Amino acid sequence: MSGSSTPPIQPPVLDPGQTFGSVTDKISSIVLTKRTPLVWLVGFGIAFSLTMLLLYSIGYLVVKGIGIWGVNVPIGWGFDIVNFVWWIGIGHAGTLISAILLLLRQTWRNSINRFAEAMTLFAVACAGLYPVLHLGRPWLMYWLFPYPNTMGLWPQFRSPLVWDVFAVSTYASVSLLFWFVGLIPDLATLRDRSKKRFSRFTYGILAMGWRGSARHWQVYETCSLLLAGLATPLVVSVHTVVSFDFAVGLIPGWHTTIFPPYFVAGAIYSGFAMVMTLAIPLRKIYGLEGLITMRHLQNMAKVMLATGLIVAYGYMVEAFMAWYSGNPYERYMIWNRMTGPYAMGYWALIFCNVIAPQTLWFSKVRNSVPVLFAMSIIVNIGMWLERFIIVVTSLHRDFLPSSWGMYHPTAWDWSTFLGTIGLFAALLFLFVRFLPMISIFEIRQILPQAEVTEPPK
Amino acid sequence: MSRDFDVSPELARDIGRLSSRARIVGGAALMLCVFGAFVSPDQFLRSYLVGYMLVLGVVLGSLAILMLHQLTGGAWGLVIRRILEAAVRTVPLMALLFLPLALGVGRLYKWADPALVSGDPLLRIKSAYLNVPFFMGRAVLYFAAWYLLASLMNKYSAEQDAAGANPAAEKLQKLAGPGLLVYGGTVTFAAIDWIMSLDPHWFSTIFGILVMGGQAVSALAFVIVITVFLARRKPMCDVITPAHLHDLGKLMFAFVMLWAYFSFSQLLIIWSANLPEEIPWYLRRFNHGWQWVGLAIIVFHFALPFVLLLSRDIKRDNRRLTSIALWLLVMRCVDLFFLVAPEFSKDSFAFHWLDPMAPIGLGGVWLSSFLLQLKKRALMPVHDPHLEEALTRP
Amino acid sequence: MISKPIYGLIAEFDNPSSLVAAARSARAAGYRKLDAYTPFPVEELNDALDLHKNKLPLLVLIGGLLGCLGGYGLEYWTTVIAYPLNVGGRPLHSIPSFIPVAFETTILAAAVTAVLGMLALNGLPMPYHPVFNVERFALASRSRFFLCIEAADPKFDREGTAKFLELLGPREVSEVAE
Repeated sequence: MSGSSTPPIQPPVLDPGQTFGSVTDKISSIVLTKRTPLVWLVGFGIAFSLTMLLLYSIGYLVVKGIGIWGVNVPIGWGFDIVNFVWWIGIGHAGTLISAILLLLRQTWRNSINRFAEAMTLFAVACAGLYPVLHLGRPWLMYWLFPYPNTMGLWPQFRSPLVWDVFAVSTYASVSLLFWFVGLIPDLATLRDRSKKRFSRFTYGILAMGWRGSARHWQVYETCSLLLAGLATPLVVSVHTVVSFDFAVGLIPGWHTTIFPPYFVAGAIYSGFAMVMTLAIPLRKIYGLEGLITMRHLQNMAKVMLATGLIVAYGYMVEAFMAWYSGNPYERYMIWNRMTGPYAMGYWALIFCNVIAPQTLWFSKVRNSVPVLFAMSIIVNIGMWLERFIIVVTSLHRDFLPSSWGMYHPTAWDWSTFLGTIGLFAALLFLFVRFLPMISIFEIRQILPQAEVTEPPK
Repeated sequence: MSRDFDVSPELARDIGRLSSRARIVGGAALMLCVFGAFVSPDQFLRSYLVGYMLVLGVVLGSLAILMLHQLTGGAWGLVIRRILEAAVRTVPLMALLFLPLALGVGRLYKWADPALVSGDPLLRIKSAYLNVPFFMGRAVLYFAAWYLLASLMNKYSAEQDAAGANPAAEKLQKLAGPGLLVYGGTVTFAAIDWIMSLDPHWFSTIFGILVMGGQAVSALAFVIVITVFLARRKPMCDVITPAHLHDLGKLMFAFVMLWAYFSFSQLLIIWSANLPEEIPWYLRRFNHGWQWVGLAIIVFHFALPFVLLLSRDIKRDNRRLTSIALWLLVMRCVDLFFLVAPEFSKDSFAFHWLDPMAPIGLGGVWLSSFLLQLKKRALMPVHDPHLEEALTRP
Repeated sequence: MISKPIYGLIAEFDNPSSLVAAARSARAAGYRKLDAYTPFPVEELNDALDLHKNKLPLLVLIGGLLGCLGGYGLEYWTTVIAYPLNVGGRPLHSIPSFIPVAFETTILAAAVTAVLGMLALNGLPMPYHPVFNVERFALASRSRFFLCIEAADPKFDREGTAKFLELLGPREVSEVAE
């Protein structure tokens, strides 16, 4: 290469000096060690307590009914739907990292895809709870599925809520498959490396006899690419269908055609923020800075900036079009958001989602781990507020002023929300303790030694 | 491998020949359009708008892809960079070609007719935005922004060629992010002004993104055609491999899917809600023969290219990929026709001989000018830091 | 001398390049029943071992199409035939509304086919395989690269093949018990 030009300096994807053996031992030892770190025990303890709080809240809800929540007429959708959309959006970054970046051959994803996928699964689990709980009679949730029944009834397939059932359950299933397929070779590694009979047996059963044969790898690689190709449109479709839950109706503030792409961008935005929120402490606690490097954090910051700008574009077009439409309801809706009783929330979300992330344009900010961590938290809050504003401000001013109202979340709303955060964290703690949080074989694959050098034919 | 990517004499001859042919065909078609303008000025403006938006889509889509590549990198972008740069250098020509539309505002847009506005309360409200002076001011602003971006991208690229210095590469990257923001903003409002306001009552928040998706398809299809044209001759025949085409094919596949996704989202949301201020736009397009145009768009702008581009072999095949790209350019024109024409013929399908003539005329004249621009520079950015990667793409 | 029948001979290598070179030599020497074991996918082995394209994409295409038809068929049958219900004046056969669910069932069926197809084509789960009898084979999932020539190969000869493998510069050659 001509010496005059070198690419702009970027930190490497992995720290140099690592070997196939060292990365394998590094990652698998976190799982196979006998000692559980104290941080883990404390963290899991807190998360587990919050999970118990969730169970208690759900139990009380089943006994008393959804009257214990703050929802009312006209605000029939409250924290349940806000949190549903928030959680499912968080999940989307996992699929994006594992699928879209695989198709784009972005090898930096290999350090973060495994736990991002796990995050997807757990976020979808938390998300999936809410619509079921909000049914009022959650024990009848199987009514949502089309099955021949004595009542002779079928789901109403023109309703976006039915599309949602299909989208979310497909998403959960495909994410689980994708994650498990990715785990198979690493489970074989754990099987071969573990000293204890029980864990060798368990990992052995899960690895299904994987032996790393070249023939197997060939089919396996095809399978991964196909799953990535399927998961990419799937992840777009899932948040699109979630946005249809709102947009297909007539409510000003919900019914707007930009919702599908803008929801998808928002989902990726919040998802990357959550990956960052999790990756920064994890790499610190487990000493994984050589595998999850500054390059990863920088790239994630760039994705956040890009998706954040798309979201900002969505806010801008929404506001402009409400004015341009000349429709009094549309105009009132946006004016009410900006100056009405929930104006504080609206401007807080604009600050969190639009203004604060503009600092990510500067490479100094992208190089500072504490600032990035703070930014990821801000975006998580901002995206939660966005869903709150969309759900609540659109409902609380009904077409008729006589049906106007306000939404006040109750302690049960908060305890359920905190509880799902606990469930999410507890599942993540279990995951990092029992499964490799970084894909070992994909890290081996991007080590320089993995390059095959052949004499020219 | 040879490092000489200058236009070979043989290629210069072929480009010159193609350029003059395009000029003759396009010029002749434009003459017919001028004749049409005297016979039926209203119809001329409608057809001209379709043709203009098609060509503008190629130019602005190229601008977006050029800047997008600065942010994402990748071998695919380097081998087409000079085509994109040549395309965006035609922004001044596009500004010139906008003049007939600017002069015809009163005939083309209902909101520019004071008599109509005074009788329509909604239009009176909307006249804060939809009025002729503001419309003209915005158009000037759009062209200024596009010209600025196009010339800066070209200027830094030329600096990089001359000096091979790193700062030029950095400047390109620094410009690309904000540049895409400017692109997104201007195209959104241009789409509202020039197409959406044909029905001044109608509004759709996704419309700007939908138009951007269409521009990306147009530009990439055009780029593929030119890439294959270049790949048959020196020096690019030593550069372009099936892997490059494969990448471009995948990108076109992705853009076609995105465009379909935006279109379907808009349709489903408006169709399901069935609101009186939105649904008329689709009712016009679902009845009186227009529905067949819509169906053709679903089948030939989405389904057929989608199925064909799934195949790896087709994406790696010069001839078949070019056929799909040309076909998509034709369908882009049909899609724009479907956005524009039903607004003027609500009760029956209507097709005028000017409808194909204007795109041919504008396309021909523009292509000729584009080819002359393409000839001016070496066909690869010789000092780009990632050149080696792009050349050795297996 | 009568010894127990063996599954084959396995040679252990340090890096993927030597393995690929060894696999090419073995193919060139006329061995056909051989397999390589690596801790990560090595693309060059597909060519070195002359592995053919697999049928998985075709299976997935069929699975996806069936999912699409099944999903759309379910919607059509329930909404138009089994339980026709006027909802907001929409036609019973509401094509735009039926697309999201049909899309999801397509993806679901295709993804399930991809995973089950991968397992089936690979013959997994298979808890026992002779190569696991080799003690050092545990390293195949860590850092080492193995080439196995099976006894079922017509050219296989316990001593000759062992010598041949030794010439390829492995760390170790061992017999794989049946």
